[in-house]
Amino acid sequence: MIQLNNIEKYYANKGIKNYVLRLVTTTIKQGEFVSIMGPSGAGKSTLLNIIGMLEEPTYGSYEFLGEDVTSLNERKRIELYRNHIGFVFQAYHLIDEMTVYENIEAPLLYKKVGSSERASRIADLLDRFNIVAKKDLFPNQLSGGQQQLVGIARALAAQPSIILADEPTGNLQSAQAEEIMTLFKKLNQEDGITIIQVTHSEKNAQYGNRILHIADGVVKEDVAVG
Amino acid sequence: MFKLNLKIAWRNLWKNKGYTFINILGLSIGMASCILIFIFIRYQLSFDEGFKNEDRIYRVISGWTTPDNFFESAGTPRPLPAAMRNDFKQQFDKVAAIQAGGGIIKVKDESGKERIKTSESVHYAEPDFFEILSFKWLEGNPRQSLSQPNTVVLSDEMADKLFGDWHKAVGKSINFQNKVDLKVTGIIEKSPDNSSFPLKVIISYKTYLNQARPESTNWGTVSSTSECYVLLKEGASIEDASKSLPQFITKYYQRDNVSKESHRFQQLRDIHYNADLGNFANKVMPKKELYGLAIIGAFLLLTACINFINLATAQAVSRGKEVGVRKVMGSLRRQLIVQFLTETLTITVVSLLVGCVLTEVALPGMQSLFKDHISFSIIEHPIIFVFMVVLVLLVSFLAGFYPAMVMSGYSPALAIKNKITANTAGLSLRKILVVVQFAITIILIIGTLVVLRQMSYMREKPLGFIPTAVALVDVPYDSMAITRYHTLQDQINKIPGVLSTSYCSAAPSSDFNNESNFRYNGTVRSTFQANTKTGDENYFKTFGLEIIAGKGLSKSDTLKDIVVNETMLKKLNVVNYNDAIGKTIRINDKTGNIIGVVKDFNNMSLHEPISPIVINSNKESYNTIAVKLDSKSILPAMRAIEKTWNTVLPEYVYGSTFMDDKISEYYQTEKIMGALFKVFAGVIIFISFIGLFGLISFVATQRTREVAIRKVLGASTLELVKMLNGSFLLMVFLANLVAWPLAYLFVAKWLATFTYRIDLNIWPFVFAMIISMVITLITVSIRSYKAAVANTIDALKYE
Repeated sequence: MIQLNNIEKYYANKGIKNYVLRLVTTTIKQGEFVSIMGPSGAGKSTLLNIIGMLEEPTYGSYEFLGEDVTSLNERKRIELYRNHIGFVFQAYHLIDEMTVYENIEAPLLYKKVGSSERASRIADLLDRFNIVAKKDLFPNQLSGGQQQLVGIARALAAQPSIILADEPTGNLQSAQAEEIMTLFKKLNQEDGITIIQVTHSEKNAQYGNRILHIADGVVKEDVAVG
Repeated sequence: MFKLNLKIAWRNLWKNKGYTFINILGLSIGMASCILIFIFIRYQLSFDEGFKNEDRIYRVISGWTTPDNFFESAGTPRPLPAAMRNDFKQQFDKVAAIQAGGGIIKVKDESGKERIKTSESVHYAEPDFFEILSFKWLEGNPRQSLSQPNTVVLSDEMADKLFGDWHKAVGKSINFQNKVDLKVTGIIEKSPDNSSFPLKVIISYKTYLNQARPESTNWGTVSSTSECYVLLKEGASIEDASKSLPQFITKYYQRDNVSKESHRFQQLRDIHYNADLGNFANKVMPKKELYGLAIIGAFLLLTACINFINLATAQAVSRGKEVGVRKVMGSLRRQLIVQFLTETLTITVVSLLVGCVLTEVALPGMQSLFKDHISFSIIEHPIIFVFMVVLVLLVSFLAGFYPAMVMSGYSPALAIKNKITANTAGLSLRKILVVVQFAITIILIIGTLVVLRQMSYMREKPLGFIPTAVALVDVPYDSMAITRYHTLQDQINKIPGVLSTSYCSAAPSSDFNNESNFRYNGTVRSTFQANTKTGDENYFKTFGLEIIAGKGLSKSDTLKDIVVNETMLKKLNVVNYNDAIGKTIRINDKTGNIIGVVKDFNNMSLHEPISPIVINSNKESYNTIAVKLDSKSILPAMRAIEKTWNTVLPEYVYGSTFMDDKISEYYQTEKIMGALFKVFAGVIIFISFIGLFGLISFVATQRTREVAIRKVLGASTLELVKMLNGSFLLMVFLANLVAWPLAYLFVAKWLATFTYRIDLNIWPFVFAMIISMVITLITVSIRSYKAAVANTIDALKYE
């Protein structure tokens, strides 16, 4: 599904290249649950951003679903966002001015899903995540865990084939974190959604089936779990 | 999607109530000003609209070229219309004369008792006039109603006034000027307010000719009250008609060497806008002034939009996260732009509604300033609605487009990580906009200061005579009235509070001026014309004129003694004024001796230089009795004068004005301009400074963390306030530098229209700078002080 070849990323500063990623080559297949781990500043988030096409690599090639997406125009990239990729953020990033229902609805509107289809998908997601009662509340009326549930529901609304999560439990207490991770595992196993997450926690990484250890921009280890 | 965008927009606006309030306040005031200016301009541009064949209607203008001058009049020699009708058959369908006049109209009831006596302006018109200008006839028609002498057509309003109901007016008669009885033969619909033809009483032109006036065949006399209108033949061009004019002029005019006559044709739609030529309605509005207003309106709107742009781009950072999230959810940049523009549109529409309320509130003020009924009815004038729609779209686009471009351009990777900062490019644009905004504000402040100083200069400048507490009372000038002049003057002199009285043709300063050629000391005809004024022996005393050589006029009913002014002698190269005493002046075919020299006085508005003036007595030419009053007893004295007047001259209608009012009428335009400047300068200052307040609030919020860190490091409150204020004061200072040369150009050009004007010095500029800097300092300090004393821990705990 994802094929990264010799991805490099550096920032040139007064002629000195500060490498963030060096020669990263890896393949992620459909249905995998990959955790990217490593110390602060290792380049985990940059790698995830490149996978998510939020940043472009300085060098190297990137194929997504067999298509070269190394540098893609806005329209094409947004097509991928609408149909294939869901993002989950550490700070949830719900839109404060929209209710829970509207937040989940937003990607569907961009994808131009018909209104009855929209209503049933949202109802389904609300039901599945047990947040039906909260649908008219605004994000600041929810706890962190609840907000992250909404964030995940929003990411799933467009029925993506892959979810990219940047420390999805970084701001949560352990009980809530466990709940989220269980949910991810379930999505991966039951719905076959590919998941790539960045995490600090060894424990969270165990929910997946593969771990990429990164340090100083280089993939040090690629281990299978379980 | 649109509905959702609107909902989100609404919630966003509600969340940032403070900024929304500032935006709406600024925009609504700006828009209200624009709407007011628009409806005023619309009203002015609607003048004389809707006549049939309006493109083919022209007024004949007369011009004279003298060695040192060229001037024009809307009047034509009285025999011109008939001659033109004869000579321009090829080019014109119709040619018609119309003569303005006035007089006393009396209506008697069935028993023969006088029921109404009123002084009205009247017009003598040829039937063809109404075939050129299509008035609506309620009864009668021009061919039948105005082709006989002693017939009159009334407007429905006038007929209602005279006969109670216009339906009953036709066939009845009115008495005009105690002389002729006129039969009412037709009724026309009253002219609207926006007409240059306020015809109320139209007497057949034959009635005018019947009064056997010598001037009606004289090509040498022109009064601006006799106008001539033509209707161009379909397919003919006015240029071709103009080509035949030189031939026409040679045929009819007697050549003389002083001035050269010329004619031209003025389009109907130009009549309202030409201030030099004037019209029957005495309502003119030079297009230049309308453009000036439009520019001020555009400036106001621009200032309000700049506020919006500044606040929106400052706010943009806080919207960064949302932009990022929306982008990764699959939103196109275009969709984000639409979303942000929807927000701007929402604000603009709300502002428009508030603006409409403000317009409604300000409308009576504007109507009394311009003394015109200006309508703000969307139903009557759908164009106003169209304008408001255009205004909303324009403002939304102008104010919303740039911020929308900036915000939608954020990179999602950075936005999501909260790494968006107010980028330097945006900040510098914001600075430029603030400078532009304040430059406009400062130009208006300087303009206002200069206009107000010039106005007070004009009020206070000694005119060479004393215009206070002088009443100008009309007197009739037919032979019957003249016999009673002596009685009237005697009786008025006896009224307590009356200090002196003088019969005269015109006050020292008047817009009624006669210019004549003359011969000084028996020499050849002068190269310039003298302004002639007539008055009796008390003229100088009544108006407080100062004799500086010789003495004033002695009692005489005809031209015998002459007093001239200093300018006259200077133009004649007489250095020692006493040399002129005893010399003769031949003027208007009569000769008199110079017996005195009067100190120069301003005989016209201060726009004009002082003319050479000749003052003499001539009982036949008087039309006014000037009454100098004791300023403590003006009211009772005026009442007594009216009573006396009515007993001495019971057949006539009393009328009076005050000299002061006459003089202030000269400066009506300047007065309006001064008032507008004051209002608009106030509005623009207000808009600019609330914008500034909004901006400093943002900067203060944005730098909360920096302020807190600096405080921990030991910065004092004063140092922090200084730090936050610095850039703003610098911007306003820069705006001053930009504004000064521009303002100088504007005010210097405006002042140049006055012959008598203040010296333009640096003070208005310095003063404008002080005002702008001080207000900036206050506005900014209020907010930055609050930021500087805020609790440090709160700021640092965050994040």
